[in-house]
Amino acid sequence: MDLLQGTLDLLVLKTLQAGPTHGWDIAQRIQQVSRDVLRVGQGSLYPALHRLEAQGWIISEWGASDNNRRAKFYRLTAAGRKQLAAETESWQRFTGAVELILKTN
Amino acid sequence: MLTGLRVRLRALFRKAEVERELDEELRFHLEKETEQNLARGMSPEEARRAALVSFGGVERVKEESRDVRGFRLFEELWQDLRFGARMLLKKPGFTSVAVLTLALGIGANTAIFSLVNEVLLKMLSVRQPEQLVLLDWRTGGQFIFGSMSGSITQEPETGLRVGSSFSYPAFEQFRSRTQTLSDVFAFAPLSQLNVSVGGQAEVASGQLVSGGFYPGLGVQPAVGRVLTPDDDRDSADPVAVLSYHYWRSRFGLDPDVVGKTISVNGVPLTIVGVTPAQFYGGLEVGSSPDLSLPVAAGPRLNPGATGRSEAKEAWNWWVQVLGRLKPGVSAEAVRAELEGGFQQSALEGWQALPPARRPPDYGPRELPELRVSSGSRGLAYLREDYEHPLRIMLIVVGLVLLIACANIANLLLTRAAARRQEIAVRLALGASRLRLIRQLLTESVLLAVLGAALGWLLAWWAKDLLLMWRPSGRGQLQAHLEMDWRVFGFTAAVALLTGILFGLAPALSATRVELTPVLKENSRGARGSLSRFGKSLVVAQVAVSLLLLVGAGLFIRTLHNLQSVELGFNPENLLLFRVDPRPKGYKGEEVNRLYEQMVERFEAVPGVRSATLSEYALLTSSGRRGPAYVEGRAPLSRAENNVYQQRARWNYFDVMQIPLLAGRSFTPQDDGRAPKVAVINQTMARKFFGEESPVGRRFGFKQDKGGEIEVVGVVRDAKYEGPRDEPPSVAYIPYPQESLGQATFALRTAGDLGQVVEAVRGAVREVDKDLPVFSVKTQVELADEALGRERLFAWLTGVFGLLALLLASIGLYGVMSYAVAERTHEIGLRMALGASQGQILRQVIGQGTFLTIIGIVIGLAAALALTRFITSYLFGVSAMDPPTFLAIGALLAVIALVACYLPARRAAKVDPMTALRYE
Repeated sequence: MDLLQGTLDLLVLKTLQAGPTHGWDIAQRIQQVSRDVLRVGQGSLYPALHRLEAQGWIISEWGASDNNRRAKFYRLTAAGRKQLAAETESWQRFTGAVELILKTN
Repeated sequence: MLTGLRVRLRALFRKAEVERELDEELRFHLEKETEQNLARGMSPEEARRAALVSFGGVERVKEESRDVRGFRLFEELWQDLRFGARMLLKKPGFTSVAVLTLALGIGANTAIFSLVNEVLLKMLSVRQPEQLVLLDWRTGGQFIFGSMSGSITQEPETGLRVGSSFSYPAFEQFRSRTQTLSDVFAFAPLSQLNVSVGGQAEVASGQLVSGGFYPGLGVQPAVGRVLTPDDDRDSADPVAVLSYHYWRSRFGLDPDVVGKTISVNGVPLTIVGVTPAQFYGGLEVGSSPDLSLPVAAGPRLNPGATGRSEAKEAWNWWVQVLGRLKPGVSAEAVRAELEGGFQQSALEGWQALPPARRPPDYGPRELPELRVSSGSRGLAYLREDYEHPLRIMLIVVGLVLLIACANIANLLLTRAAARRQEIAVRLALGASRLRLIRQLLTESVLLAVLGAALGWLLAWWAKDLLLMWRPSGRGQLQAHLEMDWRVFGFTAAVALLTGILFGLAPALSATRVELTPVLKENSRGARGSLSRFGKSLVVAQVAVSLLLLVGAGLFIRTLHNLQSVELGFNPENLLLFRVDPRPKGYKGEEVNRLYEQMVERFEAVPGVRSATLSEYALLTSSGRRGPAYVEGRAPLSRAENNVYQQRARWNYFDVMQIPLLAGRSFTPQDDGRAPKVAVINQTMARKFFGEESPVGRRFGFKQDKGGEIEVVGVVRDAKYEGPRDEPPSVAYIPYPQESLGQATFALRTAGDLGQVVEAVRGAVREVDKDLPVFSVKTQVELADEALGRERLFAWLTGVFGLLALLLASIGLYGVMSYAVAERTHEIGLRMALGASQGQILRQVIGQGTFLTIIGIVIGLAAALALTRFITSYLFGVSAMDPPTFLAIGALLAVIALVACYLPARRAAKVDPMTALRYE
């Protein structure tokens, strides 16, 4: 299923809430947690990561991955946490509103 | 947000590192993906391929990541610049032609602008110059002063006469009464000073300044100190301040100069300091008085207008006055405050005028009005001399730059046609048109910047040539043209503007491409014949170069006319120089005896055939002029009655070779004891005596003494003020009968000039070792100097006109060659169908000629409309001189024909079979 415009940022921020990790892992987790419903096109993942970084919501640092290879780890910043809270809230209001409409006959 | 900025800046400045990290990050992702695929049981190759497929284009991801980081504009600009530089390097021929063309255009503009900057724009280098105001006055009536030294000009808007100088009491009154000005100070130029330093005598220029002059201007000394109010007291020790220029040329920047004593007109003065280099020493832009002395020292060394007893009289107007506005005060408030006092002082001076000085029509006078204007750029007189000629020069160089732009635009157009394929491919691959235009413009601006850089160097070199220009014949402009930030800004702006000007149209037309036909390389499809834009460029170039060439033609004819004008005397082998013994204290008869002694010695110098002297040199626009009256005749009108009095030695006409037409010449017996006599020129004879013979008649220079002087002879008219003027009325007076204010010796020479000059200096030293010989010039040099402006105009318009012609013919040739190349197929077809070589030749030439004729017609019309603005600079030729117009038109037509003939012949030589197979 294709992601709705603008939701990728939210998903990335949410995934990073669990702790710092690298790009490949973020894509994997989104896929697993959504039970294969949401697949992040890798082509849009990295631009999104760099965009979030440029906005100051996440920062990156180089670290060692599982089998000791160099990988770039992303971590939420304080501003990112606030942004995540704000986006989560507005997403819930949005889906709640859509739900209300769908429930009417 | 701060981390965000850091990320962006890092992306901009550590580009390579950021790119490497991006690569590594994506590679890591691919490897993880591949591992996962392997774990699912794929073969290694399959695993990697699948990973790549699911990832999508690596480069696209990179590109998008870069976008996100911002600063894309800068990155693209950098890319464009590098790409542009590569494109320019690939076509060295095109690039060097374009850069050179631009360098000439921009260099000429920069050099002229540096002069404009210096003369018209630059403010005086003093503290807060915008607060300075210049005081002067204007009147529509008769003058109310007894004597004045300074300048009188006409106010352009009103026609009222404007005078520059005030009496010393008026200045003191301004200074004591004003509440609106924080400082009031005065200065006055001094005539030539005899300066003797360490036993060597020479002539220097100088000015008197009031004690408040330097403090008021806020000028700090470069060495020592400047003059203060304490120096400007009658009891003070006489001191002087040097200009930087004089300090350098005369004292070699010696810092120990302070405290030295020099002798000025025989008076010892102590040097107390030097003014800084940026401050020219005086207030007139372009002139630089060598020495500045306090006003109080004036009477001691200057017996003239500032003489002891008359310097402080209210009828003697000789100081120029500047003031510094208090904050928030307007110039108008100053005028309102000071005008009453000024008029009162003027009236008192008029009433106190000694009877001997009263003019014949002495009576009540209209009072002059005070004027208060911005003094921030120094005095305006020099500016007025330069302003109009400079404007003409700016227009000329501007036109040259326009032609240069048109030419490069044309070159770019043809090149854009050659690059159409490349551009079509890039458009097809998804480049936006705006992006392509931006890239093409970057290329043309890069070209313009290269041209400007070279032009800057050219201007640097050419500006010293410009300084030798003397537009008013007043002597060389003393200024150093600085290539300051203003000139740099001008050049940069010109470069940017020209880059966009010549780049925009070609870029627009290059990117307006129909993709399919071009990509299919169907040459007949997208390529038309000449674009309308290219054609109009050629027409404009022809028109503008015609305009410049007509101007050049008119100026060259003017120069030629002036050089071959009949001067009325023989200027060849005539050496002129001045000696002034008066500042050394020689008086009355002593002076005359000294002059006679010198003439005798000069005549004995080997290589000197004869020697004489007169008060003024000819062709220097200087002299003693006033109304003359004839006994028993009604006075002539004011416009007619002015006569130059040339006081000269008895052998003057022989040495100058001015032929005597009637009566007798002077003899040595016409001395101070003999009756007063004069020899007059033809013009004066005609104006004052009409058809009657003037010999034996009498005239005078005062209305009540019309019988004072007897006319003993008439000589032929000789040019007096300069080569371009009608000879004025001149009365020659034997010099022992009237004392000379100054003396110019004239030697008719036959030998080596250098040796003669050395011998002359030796002869003067033998008479008095402290007398300097100065203003050594030949009469031919003087005549040439008087033609400085004409020569410069002729030279510049000539050079630039030829340059324009060259550019225009290159442009025409290029356009026609391109048209022929484009139509090779069509021409081949025509020839296959039976057209003769002659027909093809005629057709191609016809097309080029058509464009040329349109250009010539437009150019002629523009020239007819514009040349009248230069009428006042022409001589002996009308601003619409038909031969010049016809000759230039014909010249352009011939050159255009040649420029078209070469491509036309190539067209006519086309082999029909090759041309048809060419598809």
